[in-house]
Amino acid sequence: MTTTIEPAEDEASVSSLISVRDLTVSYDVARTGKKLVAIEGVDLDVREGEFVTVLGPSGCGKTTFMNVIAGLVKPTSGQVLVAGEPVTGPGPDRAVVFQDYALLPWRTVFDNVKFGLEMQKALKGSGWRDRVQEAIELVGLSGFEHSYPRELSGGMQQRVGLARAIVAEPRILLMDEPLGAVDALTREVMRAEIEKLIAATGKTVLFITHSIEEAILLGDRIVVFKSHPGAIKEVIETGLARPRSERSIQSDPRFLELRDHLWDALQGEATAAAVSK
Amino acid sequence: MTVTSATGTNRIVRPRRVVRSGEGKWAWLLVGVVAAVLLIWEAAVSWLQLVPAAFLPPPTEIIAAFVRLLGEPEFWQAFVYSMQNLLIGLALAIVVGVVVGLAVGWSPVLRFTVAPFLWLLYSTPKVALAPLFILILGLGNESKIALVFLLAVFPIILNTMEGAVAVSPSLVSAGRVFGVNGVYLGWKVIFPATLPYSLSGIQRGAALGFTGEVLGEFLGGTGGLGHLLEFAAYQFMMAEAIALVIVMVIIANLTLWLISTLRRRLAPWYDDRKIVGAS
Ligand SMILES: Nc1ncnc2c1ncn2[C@@H]1O[C@H](COP(=O)(O)OP(=O)(O)OP(=O)(O)O)[C@@H](O)[C@H]1O
Ligand SMILES: [Mg+2]
Repeated sequence: MTTTIEPAEDEASVSSLISVRDLTVSYDVARTGKKLVAIEGVDLDVREGEFVTVLGPSGCGKTTFMNVIAGLVKPTSGQVLVAGEPVTGPGPDRAVVFQDYALLPWRTVFDNVKFGLEMQKALKGSGWRDRVQEAIELVGLSGFEHSYPRELSGGMQQRVGLARAIVAEPRILLMDEPLGAVDALTREVMRAEIEKLIAATGKTVLFITHSIEEAILLGDRIVVFKSHPGAIKEVIETGLARPRSERSIQSDPRFLELRDHLWDALQGEATAAAVSK
Repeated sequence: MTVTSATGTNRIVRPRRVVRSGEGKWAWLLVGVVAAVLLIWEAAVSWLQLVPAAFLPPPTEIIAAFVRLLGEPEFWQAFVYSMQNLLIGLALAIVVGVVVGLAVGWSPVLRFTVAPFLWLLYSTPKVALAPLFILILGLGNESKIALVFLLAVFPIILNTMEGAVAVSPSLVSAGRVFGVNGVYLGWKVIFPATLPYSLSGIQRGAALGFTGEVLGEFLGGTGGLGHLLEFAAYQFMMAEAIALVIVMVIIANLTLWLISTLRRRLAPWYDDRKIVGAS
């Protein structure tokens, strides 16, 4: 057994589904008239079917990074390729689970989930109702189809956002802390469901989280971000067998090793961030 | 593969309006105060004769005039005339106001070039233009409809504009991610998100528009409640005049109530306390 954490090999191959090349994003801050560099010089290649988790302190540019891949934010410099094509905007091959849910408050749960495939050809047939219903069941919200977002808890709203993203079966799922507001028990169930879903459909996933355990449990690889400016600190291959159960993995030495390593990495970051403020 | 959520078996109880226990007491107090004022008024005019009844008729006389009014076909003709102009003018103002408001609110270019003029026009006392309208458009319906439109359209434009500016960027992002662009983005995201603001503007616009209608009829007209009021005042029939004013107050308040009910119906997700200047 190796006791060292080896950086994952950077295979800049043509076979990667997402490739991020020297990506820099800076925002114009209207109030001060200055530029804020959110992320700088980020390189990453994601293979088809890979589950990549992204860890990093708050404000290090994780959402920004994901938004560029989603086509919502334009790179200041550098490039993002999806399936070999430069990203020029959002597309049906990528769906996003938003950190702030971004549900339409005037729509019921059912209609919010339907929003995920509304603009696609899928809606012309008759099977779409079943698909919407299936997605709702998958996230455990059966019985709440006719509720409005304001009648749901934060965690439930987040699950509506998840259902909306998976309903159209996109090739790539971009998830921004999708389990952040879910209670521990539901999170564990949902985490297992996400893992099963991904395994069954072979989706490629980029999954942002604040939880070290979650990053290890879900990821094939873990991307650790640092802040000021946001950049990739390291990329770690988890190398744990699937399926992984939270209970059995707790005693796995590899899990413990990864967890300690990530703790140290993030603690250093958090301290650095606190000092620089 | 289904997941039973921790709350999966519970039904959500929709929040109901909280009725504060003190509210009923205050309502009775209000009724009491109104009754007392009416009684003092009646006493002062009819019994003590402190004020000549010709200037200020007692409440009983006004109530009698009110009832008489409701029985007159002439009154109902005037009522229909006024309401027709109000509705036409308001409908035009709603269509123009919402479209212009969405466009100006949504396009930064328009917002920086056009919006300052809209605010300027909004704060201009447009009532001053009423005689001009009557000169140009004549004594008929057209001048009244134009006046209603002019008074109602600005609050609708400005509220819709504010609403369009306030649409959450993450809703727009969600729209774009799921392929909702262009006209669809306007229809499926921007318009519904702005609706509560528009309705608030429509409410204000309706109140101002009604003022415009009555004023137009008052200044030069051949029909309508304002015309009746002018006639009654000219004939020195004070009880009738006051009864007509009461009718107008009722119409104005019914309109406000109707639109705020509509707003709660159409936009139940929106807490109307959040709307600045909602009235
Ligand atoms: N639209 C924007 N305009 C200006 N600055 C922005 C904008 N969006 C993000 N930023 C800034 O960019 C930096 C990175 O933000 P980002 O939202 O990507 O962080 P994050 O890693 O997702 O944080 P968290 O974990 O708290 O969600 C922050 O300093 C933030 O203030
Ligand atoms: Mg974020």
